[in-house]
Amino acid sequence: MAIIPHTALWAAIVLLFSTLCTAKTVTYDFNVTWVTANPDGLMERKVIGVNNQWPLPVIEVEKGDQLVVNMHNGLGDKNASIHFHGMYQNGTNEMDGPIMVTQCPIPPGADFVYNFTVNQNGTYWYHCHADYCYPDGYRQALIVHDTESYFYDQYEEEFTVTVSDWYHELVEGIAPDFLSVYNPTGAEPIPQAFLFNDTLNTNLVVKPNTTYLIRLINIGAFVAQYFYIEDHTFTIVEIDGIYTEPTEADTLYIAIAQRYAILLTTKNTTDKNYPIVTVADSALLDTIPSDLRLNLTNWLEYNADADHPQAVMTVDDATDLVPYDDFTLTPYDKMPLLPEPDYTLELSVNMEILGNGEGYALLNNISYTAAKVPTIFSVMSSGSLATNELVYGEFTHPIVLEHNDVVQVILNNNDGGSHPFHLHGHAFQVIDRTPSYGASFYSYVDGDPVPYNASNHTAFPAYPARRDTFVLPPQGHFVIRFVADNPGVWMFHCHIDWHLSQGLGMLFIEAPTQMQERLNIPQNHYDVCKTGGIPSEGNAAANTMDYLDLKGQNTQVGWLPGGFTARGVVALVFSCVSAVIGIAFLVVYGLSDLKFKGREEEGMGEGGKVGGKGVGKATVMEASRENSGEEVK
Amino acid sequence: MPNVFAPQVFFIVFREVLEAVIIVSVLLSFLKQCLGQPDQDQKIYKRLVRQVWFGSLSGVFLCLVIGGIFIGVFYGVGKDIWSQSEDLWEGIFYLIATIIITVMGLALLRINKMKEKWRLKIAHALVDKAKHHNAKSWLGAWGKRNALFILPFITTMREGVEAVVFVGGVSLGLPATEFPLPVITGLLAGLFVGYLIYRGGNVLSIQLFLIASTSVLYLIAAGMFSKAVWSLQFHVFALRVGSDVAEEGNGPGSYDILESVWHVNCCNPETDNGWDVFNALLGWQNSATYGSVISYNIYWIAIMVAISCLLYEERTGSLPLKKQTLATLAKVPGLKRWAKKKQAISAEERAEIVRQGEAHLAGGAFLEAENSEEEDDRPAEK
Repeated sequence: MAIIPHTALWAAIVLLFSTLCTAKTVTYDFNVTWVTANPDGLMERKVIGVNNQWPLPVIEVEKGDQLVVNMHNGLGDKNASIHFHGMYQNGTNEMDGPIMVTQCPIPPGADFVYNFTVNQNGTYWYHCHADYCYPDGYRQALIVHDTESYFYDQYEEEFTVTVSDWYHELVEGIAPDFLSVYNPTGAEPIPQAFLFNDTLNTNLVVKPNTTYLIRLINIGAFVAQYFYIEDHTFTIVEIDGIYTEPTEADTLYIAIAQRYAILLTTKNTTDKNYPIVTVADSALLDTIPSDLRLNLTNWLEYNADADHPQAVMTVDDATDLVPYDDFTLTPYDKMPLLPEPDYTLELSVNMEILGNGEGYALLNNISYTAAKVPTIFSVMSSGSLATNELVYGEFTHPIVLEHNDVVQVILNNNDGGSHPFHLHGHAFQVIDRTPSYGASFYSYVDGDPVPYNASNHTAFPAYPARRDTFVLPPQGHFVIRFVADNPGVWMFHCHIDWHLSQGLGMLFIEAPTQMQERLNIPQNHYDVCKTGGIPSEGNAAANTMDYLDLKGQNTQVGWLPGGFTARGVVALVFSCVSAVIGIAFLVVYGLSDLKFKGREEEGMGEGGKVGGKGVGKATVMEASRENSGEEVK
Repeated sequence: MPNVFAPQVFFIVFREVLEAVIIVSVLLSFLKQCLGQPDQDQKIYKRLVRQVWFGSLSGVFLCLVIGGIFIGVFYGVGKDIWSQSEDLWEGIFYLIATIIITVMGLALLRINKMKEKWRLKIAHALVDKAKHHNAKSWLGAWGKRNALFILPFITTMREGVEAVVFVGGVSLGLPATEFPLPVITGLLAGLFVGYLIYRGGNVLSIQLFLIASTSVLYLIAAGMFSKAVWSLQFHVFALRVGSDVAEEGNGPGSYDILESVWHVNCCNPETDNGWDVFNALLGWQNSATYGSVISYNIYWIAIMVAISCLLYEERTGSLPLKKQTLATLAKVPGLKRWAKKKQAISAEERAEIVRQGEAHLAGGAFLEAENSEEEDDRPAEK
């Protein structure tokens, strides 16, 4: 498990398709079915497998290859799709994978062909991009090999390492308790385990004094992980598919969906095996159950016969670890800072409770709510209206970008948690982030959120790091730039799957006119929509007659009432009225007691006169006449 | 103001003190009528009056001792258990308090009728004492001789213990600091109003005062009933939410939106000063649920129905079907005694009892018991 060479598959592919041609077609047939697995040794559970296997196959291609994935949804009870995370899909927006954005959900029994050219290098992954899907196991590495990378001749062998959080229940079983009126803090479900290459206690078998390329991917749903190897340092050479200047580091923070490739040179001795330590970021966890193992030990195995020691934790809390700040990395291609933006978008992240009592995530007060028609089809069918944001509905949070504009996105975090934001279709320049990784990363949590201030910020780097998933600090902010040179509908969202289900996402409709000119969506995509009963033309409300009429569009849940509503006023008035009438009854009852007073005095008085003589019978009788209902105890 | 004055405690103390004062005053006026006339022996009269006072005061003293022990044990033992799931206990305690206040509260409005009732009861007791006590035994003789000590002693003690139990009942959920002030003020107010009644002050203004205080008492009770339902609902909600519910304060998530009728993010009686007065007096909640609003209204409707029944009964002498029901119940073996008691006694019987009581008193049944045993038979013959 430690090494995922897949040499057999690789060789077969190489044999099947000409070895002489650099651009070949790599085909995978994915029959997606339920299988059972027990990767943490704690519980066997139902997982989504491919061709009745789990863990899923690693997709391996070379730059320039045509990748074809023939997917059959054999799940029987669940929609699915595949997103190839980090692939730019330039010209093939319809192969990107998020349902209701670039395609219809693939219903049970349906087939779908993903077919696109891979024009990039590095470490990626693929995962289901339907609702409540990929944390059930439908995720794995996607490696684009590159024999021409600047570090290709510096390493002997490569490893792929995935880290992940792991739940014992199906997402669809957990979700109702998460999105619930009984979870007002929006506390994310706590995983039951953490995995290393979809298992535990594994070895990366190494030779002494040798350099290896290790590709690290967090394919989890929620929890970021720290990564280090005891007594070793390494060199970062790639982040999210972008080669970087070789940079020495000892600890990495790998948020959900982020990738690092590192060069590791082994020691010149074989006496010892060294723990590879992964530590879950406990700051993200609302509670830490006593039986949850936050840190895992796997081994860099120099000598199979030697001891395999458990990692010695040097800190009490994961947040005390100081990871390398990815913001400071420099891309190997030295792409300079993009010029002043043509379009600037300022966004704020808020987590709030909406009218149904459930927690939602909001970007500028919009909680992403999918349209009735996958947005790509709205673009394709709306003709000249495609540049009008109205077509895409209010709650998909669409922003139309002009072709080749330089776009700047300022993301301010009003929430006390960190959010790994991912942009489809692009690697963006990261030009500001406050606070930065390290001791001060959580320093804004206790005060007010600190938004980006355009007139007072640290100087932007000359050669900013680029990636496709970047962590937004708690109550802090980041600023990114990219060129809108990739016509398509691209989702920008938090990659914590729970937050996406709460609506922490939005859509960039990038160069819709060019999309209409360049995209050629295969018939298969329309057929899948038909099978699933989802319209493939019309605006966000599936209106094909008037694209600016959004009556019937999907809307987010209304705001929580701030005070008295009509029913509150009615209830209050009713309560007051009944109290007043009730008191009126009491007053009547009380005043009617006076009649006893009158009679009593009369009775007492006369009874007194005659009582001593013992002949006051008639008078006393009279006094008691009205009391005949009274009981004697 | 917060946490030092529990109005419900005040009203209960007030009500029980008033009842005790009425008992004493009824006894005193009995004495005055039968023995206190100018032509009668003032020495005997004064001795008996002293006995009455002595009896009542010792009753009060004893009940204070019992009450102190009761409350001490109560707070010593119970507090820790209840603080753990506060809302559940609060709901249950408020429910108990509502029932207590509701059942005893209306009697405040029947102060004159209450006097009449006590007159009857005391007369009954006097007749009983004179008739059935075996004077040959030492205890019987003593009891007879000191009847006017024992009677007020028992009744004031009984009212007092009742007050203690009720105060305990309505304030199960309250901190101990809320006790002293309302108990003392309730005591003073009860004595004062009782004195006014005895002196025969302005009948109407006393009655108006009693009406006003009863209205407040029922406002409190309605609020507590609503709060009881609210607390129980909130307990269920908090159980499902877990410890996070405390993190939410007043804001979104601190209440169950599915049950909410209104919610204002302020004026929380538990955290905002001043609003706890509204909460105590009127049952104000910044977050109202269907349960709390409906229960509040139902409470008042129940009060209206109960008062209508009482008025009807007073006017016609009986409720529809009451006689029939009791007659049927009287045939059931186990319930016979109880039903017999409940069956109204006739006006003649009533008058006879009072007359006999007065006669015993005037006849000196309790005075000369020590002098001559033969005298025992004399009242009995009548």
